[in-house]
Amino acid sequence: MIHPSLAQEVLAKATATGGDFAEIFLEDSRSHSLLLKSGHMDSVNSLRSHGAGVRVFNGTSAVYVYTNDTSREGLIACAQKAAAAVTEGKGCAPIPLNPSDARRPEEIRVLPGDVTAARKAEKLRAADAAARAVSGEIVQVNARYSDTVQDVLIANTEGTFVTDRRVYTRLACTAVASDGTENQSGSTNPGASMGFELFDSRVDPEACGKLAANQAVTMLHAPVCPAGVYPVVIDNGFGGVIFHEACGHSLEATSVAYGISEFSGRLGEMIAAPCVTAIDDGTIPNEWGSEHVDDEGMPTTRLVLIENGKLVGYMIDKLGGRRMGMAPTGSGRRESYQWAPTSRMRNTYIAAGKDDEAEMIATMGEGLYAKAMGGGSVNPATGEFNFAVNEGYWVKDGKIVHPVRGASLIGRGSEVLLRIDRVGRDMRMAQGMCGSMSGSIPVNVGQPMIRVSSLTVGGR
Amino acid sequence: MDRVQMDSFIDRLLAAAKEAGLETAEVYYTEAEAFSVGLMKGEVDSYEVSTSGGLGLRGTVDGRMGYAATEAYDEDAIAQLIEGVKESAALNEAQEQDTIFAGDAVYPEIGKPESDLAAWSAEKKIALAHEIEQAALSRDSRVSQTQGVSVSTSRGVRILRNSYGLNLRREGEVCVAYASPIAREGEDTSTGFKIAAGYRLGDVKPAELGAGAADDALAMLHAKPVPSGDYRVILRREAMGDLLATFSGVFSAENAQQKLSLLAGREGEKIASDAVTLMDDPLLPGGFASTPFDGEGSASRTKAVIDAGTLTTLLHSRKTAKKQGVETTGNALRAGYAGAVRVGPTNFFIRPGEKTLEQLMAEMGDGLVITDVSGLHAGANPISGDFSLLSKGFVIRDGKQAEPVEQVTVAGNFYALLKSIRAVADDLRFDGRSIASPSVDAGVMKVSGK
Repeated sequence: MIHPSLAQEVLAKATATGGDFAEIFLEDSRSHSLLLKSGHMDSVNSLRSHGAGVRVFNGTSAVYVYTNDTSREGLIACAQKAAAAVTEGKGCAPIPLNPSDARRPEEIRVLPGDVTAARKAEKLRAADAAARAVSGEIVQVNARYSDTVQDVLIANTEGTFVTDRRVYTRLACTAVASDGTENQSGSTNPGASMGFELFDSRVDPEACGKLAANQAVTMLHAPVCPAGVYPVVIDNGFGGVIFHEACGHSLEATSVAYGISEFSGRLGEMIAAPCVTAIDDGTIPNEWGSEHVDDEGMPTTRLVLIENGKLVGYMIDKLGGRRMGMAPTGSGRRESYQWAPTSRMRNTYIAAGKDDEAEMIATMGEGLYAKAMGGGSVNPATGEFNFAVNEGYWVKDGKIVHPVRGASLIGRGSEVLLRIDRVGRDMRMAQGMCGSMSGSIPVNVGQPMIRVSSLTVGGR
Repeated sequence: MDRVQMDSFIDRLLAAAKEAGLETAEVYYTEAEAFSVGLMKGEVDSYEVSTSGGLGLRGTVDGRMGYAATEAYDEDAIAQLIEGVKESAALNEAQEQDTIFAGDAVYPEIGKPESDLAAWSAEKKIALAHEIEQAALSRDSRVSQTQGVSVSTSRGVRILRNSYGLNLRREGEVCVAYASPIAREGEDTSTGFKIAAGYRLGDVKPAELGAGAADDALAMLHAKPVPSGDYRVILRREAMGDLLATFSGVFSAENAQQKLSLLAGREGEKIASDAVTLMDDPLLPGGFASTPFDGEGSASRTKAVIDAGTLTTLLHSRKTAKKQGVETTGNALRAGYAGAVRVGPTNFFIRPGEKTLEQLMAEMGDGLVITDVSGLHAGANPISGDFSLLSKGFVIRDGKQAEPVEQVTVAGNFYALLKSIRAVADDLRFDGRSIASPSVDAGVMKVSGK
């Protein structure tokens, strides 16, 4: 991408006015997407994303400048603009750059660029046909295939000069069921840090189509969810979004560093029920949220956040680390060169526990069994979170009685973590895109089936 | 890239596209220069400067449209774009194909707001951010911190050029500032948020913005859920604007034709209460989505989408209009430089009524006013129209705003909401957005609380 001597020159220019740390992030990405709508290939897009960002620290202040112009002149201009915003810094002594390529435990067997669009399209047609075959009530199927190969170079004044390649492939299928006056949808979006071999081992397009269609048809015939405060059982896989929203974001340095988060300054305290252990792991080969090095060039890590209910770790980027007086944890991530990195989640999950899944439902009395979750959001200052239930079932006297639609769950992170009274044995993860201060990035959420003793269920 | 270099790149690209056998071709280029500064605890915590853009090429092969895009303009880029378009076109099986448009005879003039942003130095913008933060933090001893204060400016240009010789260009500038203070008292924490936007830095009033955001947070201290049940609800303008933006896709003819909107074929029918007139106005002076041409080069025009409750038209591009045998409404939308042309609104708003928000509350007597809804990407289903959203607001008692409410969900259905709106207030504001609404008396809604 660029020669270490040019990187050295850019870093020197960036710190010329007193910055005590500088970093270059250079990116060249190729992505490809295909959208099959109503059984017809609607659009096929290729995008080459290309640019660089220069970041300079002065103590706990940060300056970020980015551009598409990655020529020598463009990079130097970026460095000069960044340096111009720094005054009265203590500066930094340059360290020789040590070029390396990130260690990548997994092998990408079939690079997306080596696969024709026609072969990618076959996967969509398979998902589409399987979805339509489920029911005459399926009126629309949207199937999207996407892949990205992101080549990056990260260099900084601490001697880092590392290149990395990240490869992502994903299938997304949404089915809409209609009875003419009402529409309901179902969806599934599996992906991995893999090439086209995703479809050999992990993702069956037909199964995806069926799953989405069945969910849509089930919800079309479901009455609306009752509203109120009830026990809630949340299934494994994407159910882990509850931890992601209720707690994960509040353990990111972005919220913790300034004392904004409800979990600031609480290391060592019991913040969850003793049955809860939570982990953020960037090291799992091929997982959607995994990394080799983070977007600040640090090797990725496995980080325990909560151990048997006790808060033991935060997710920390370099700048957050300076603000908190703590070491970074390999958690600096960003969508692209257009974003300064900050502390973010990777593959974040509640670890497997010991409880029996059938017993959880049998002993819950009346409440909600949330089988498939949608997305959510949180206000880290107050801990208030919300998320949607895409496929829910009403439970009465410990028995599942019928599906319910339109449910959402709300609460406060600090309260819900303490109210988890069952953690099942079968931990699974699912893929999502997480949007926050450094853009939209791939993350896994995960958990075994869990039960929350009481939660506000928003229904109608 | 400067203007001459980019013009020359586009010239070469369109010539190469013709050479390579593309029957028609179109370039859509966007570029922005942006600046932003964020403060935390009195210090500059983030400072960002950028110049970035991208270029999308679409073109036809055997009458089928293909797409490709790039942010690199090196030697490989032209060949990659053309190859990408050809591959994409070869797979395109849409029954109705987009076509490249030769252009309209006349484009409307839109008064461009006079902007002074170029003349402001970074130091002045940082000083403005400090003033906003100070105004928030000096408001009340219970407000001692913010989640962030930011001032940003950007200048953008978009260019649409095609093989018919159409060459359209639009430039714009905007500044946006926000403050999000945190109020704390005892064990209780609440947050506030206010945003201001305009074309001159003078459009941001730091004292008003900072103090208003602090008041917003203070008002929510000690908020509690109300018991679950059916309530009369006023959706204040921020909440109704968010709902309208989330569900704006139901007015797209593209969605309707794909059965993703229940408004398909319902033009001429009553779909909302008499109080509702919904405008799409790309010619709005000072509007944040104002434009003389849409994403495929059609001249913009103003229309009522709902006129006193009756659906008069859906939003169309040339493709969706052709399918339905009508004229385009000039709503072809380019979400960015990459990707296909979609359909979407410009400046999109419910026309304000005569009464103030206070009058609506007085007429309601008892109920809730919802000021904030969150989790719209999750708790609202744009296909079914259902929503169930974490909400904040206040109890309305005896016609007046009373104690604050939080940790409740408000649930309903957007299609049903349009019909149940009893009255629309006079308080329309855009605040940097293109989709907005005045406050509305939404009738009865289901609230889930304690």
